[in-house]
Amino acid sequence: MTEPVATAKTVAAARAEAVVRIEGLSKSFDGRLVLDDVSLEVDRGRIVSVIGQSGGGKTTLMRCVNLLERPDRGTVEVAGEVVHSGGRTVCRDLPALRRTVGMVFQKFNLFPHLTAVENIVLAQRKAGIAEAEALERAVTLLRRVGVAHRGLARPDQLSGGEQQRVAIARALALRPEVLLFDEPTSSLDPESTREVLTVMRELAADGMTMLLVTHELPFAREVSDHVVFVDGGRIVEAGRPQDVLDRPAERRTREFLAAYGSAS
Amino acid sequence: MSGLFQVPWSDYRPDLLDALGRTVSYTVAGFAGAVVLGLVVALLRLSKVWPARAVAAVYTEVFKNVPLLAIIFLTYFGLASAGIRLDVFTAGCLSLIVFYAAYLSEIFRSAISGVHEGQTEAGEALGLGRAGIFAHIVLPQAVRQALPGTNTMLVDLLKSTSLLVTVSAAELMSEGRLITSETFRALEVYLVISAVYFALCYPLSQLLLLLERKVRAGVPLSPRRRRRVRAARALLAADLDNVNDRVSDRKEAVV
Repeated sequence: MTEPVATAKTVAAARAEAVVRIEGLSKSFDGRLVLDDVSLEVDRGRIVSVIGQSGGGKTTLMRCVNLLERPDRGTVEVAGEVVHSGGRTVCRDLPALRRTVGMVFQKFNLFPHLTAVENIVLAQRKAGIAEAEALERAVTLLRRVGVAHRGLARPDQLSGGEQQRVAIARALALRPEVLLFDEPTSSLDPESTREVLTVMRELAADGMTMLLVTHELPFAREVSDHVVFVDGGRIVEAGRPQDVLDRPAERRTREFLAAYGSAS
Repeated sequence: MSGLFQVPWSDYRPDLLDALGRTVSYTVAGFAGAVVLGLVVALLRLSKVWPARAVAAVYTEVFKNVPLLAIIFLTYFGLASAGIRLDVFTAGCLSLIVFYAAYLSEIFRSAISGVHEGQTEAGEALGLGRAGIFAHIVLPQAVRQALPGTNTMLVDLLKSTSLLVTVSAAELMSEGRLITSETFRALEVYLVISAVYFALCYPLSQLLLLLERKVRAGVPLSPRRRRRVRAARALLAADLDNVNDRVSDRKEAVV
């Protein structure tokens, strides 16, 4: 994507801007190629949405960012540091990398034996944040996502929307530089989906850097700066949301969007 | 009834109390050892290294399929004939430990592997190390799963200490046999000994049920968690008051 006339200096500047940089990423499971030479950048303060069919490699791509999956080939760079290259993890401090990258899961993955507020405190304490500050932060975040009144409830006492908002608060607690959302509303009813999207919209307005895997195309169109359509482990098309979603250039993108339109 | 109770029980009280203490000692030492060894075997069975898994599997299968009495005879008489003389307390505890560790390892293994892998992933994504994930995420959830089976094993182990009568371990059952040989009143003596076992086991199992219920309800049991929840409640006071939704809160206050 770099201009052919770009000097070394402008390239370096562009690199500093990218919080996540993925280049030439490939990953197979049991000999099946799930990601095939994928490249992607998420600049600071930007929101990138990855769309595509289930099983197309979107989630795997996202999980490669915080190395929950280790790519077979390619480079992963987070906050200016190469963390994985040529099939080898070169990240010196994996916990630190993961604190730089917050993650929100499709199935929330809250800790069921702990109250909402304890869910948010746990990782902060492990990261060396003092008890009082960790609690203060947890309470502030619970208020921010609108579930402070349920702060002492356990996950099984919360609705899906409340659980996912607690999970977002938990991911924010370590002040990550980028948030990964893996189909955050796919397990939710419409009401809960609306609650969660409201929180995400507010995060977007606050300038949070986000990489989002979603089936909520209207939401992706609304908040994203960049939309990536992944199919069969490859990036088929990428660009501004109005281009990819409204005027797709590729036949495969058009088919996907047509199927999505007739399904919803 | 006066015909039934003719043993001079007050004469035997000090010996009986001694024996009771020894039964409790066998139970505590045997169970503590079995929990530790059971956890080690469970972790070996969940290991990625196949020889570790194999060793643990062989261990479990062997000790699950040999009677406890045979193990007691092997450790006390068998090892002695091979030149390893263990005193009766050591031999008794060792027998209980190796036997019950096999059962507990099965309970622990299924409890640990029953914790959803998404939990480990969430811990990893939050930057926790392997030890932190095990201690703060997997283990507390596994304990919740393992508690009912483990509690059953504890009561079972207490009752099984009576098999140590065969090596004259001076616990309750041995004392019962002694009193019987002196008084020839088997029915009375063994009724009383059975009543003592019942008086130990029944309250214990009820207490464990209560613990199970508390843990299941997510009641913070450790002082650190209690402090944390109390501090959080103070910070959240205004928010919680705004809504009539303090169900979890009230429940906890009651327990």
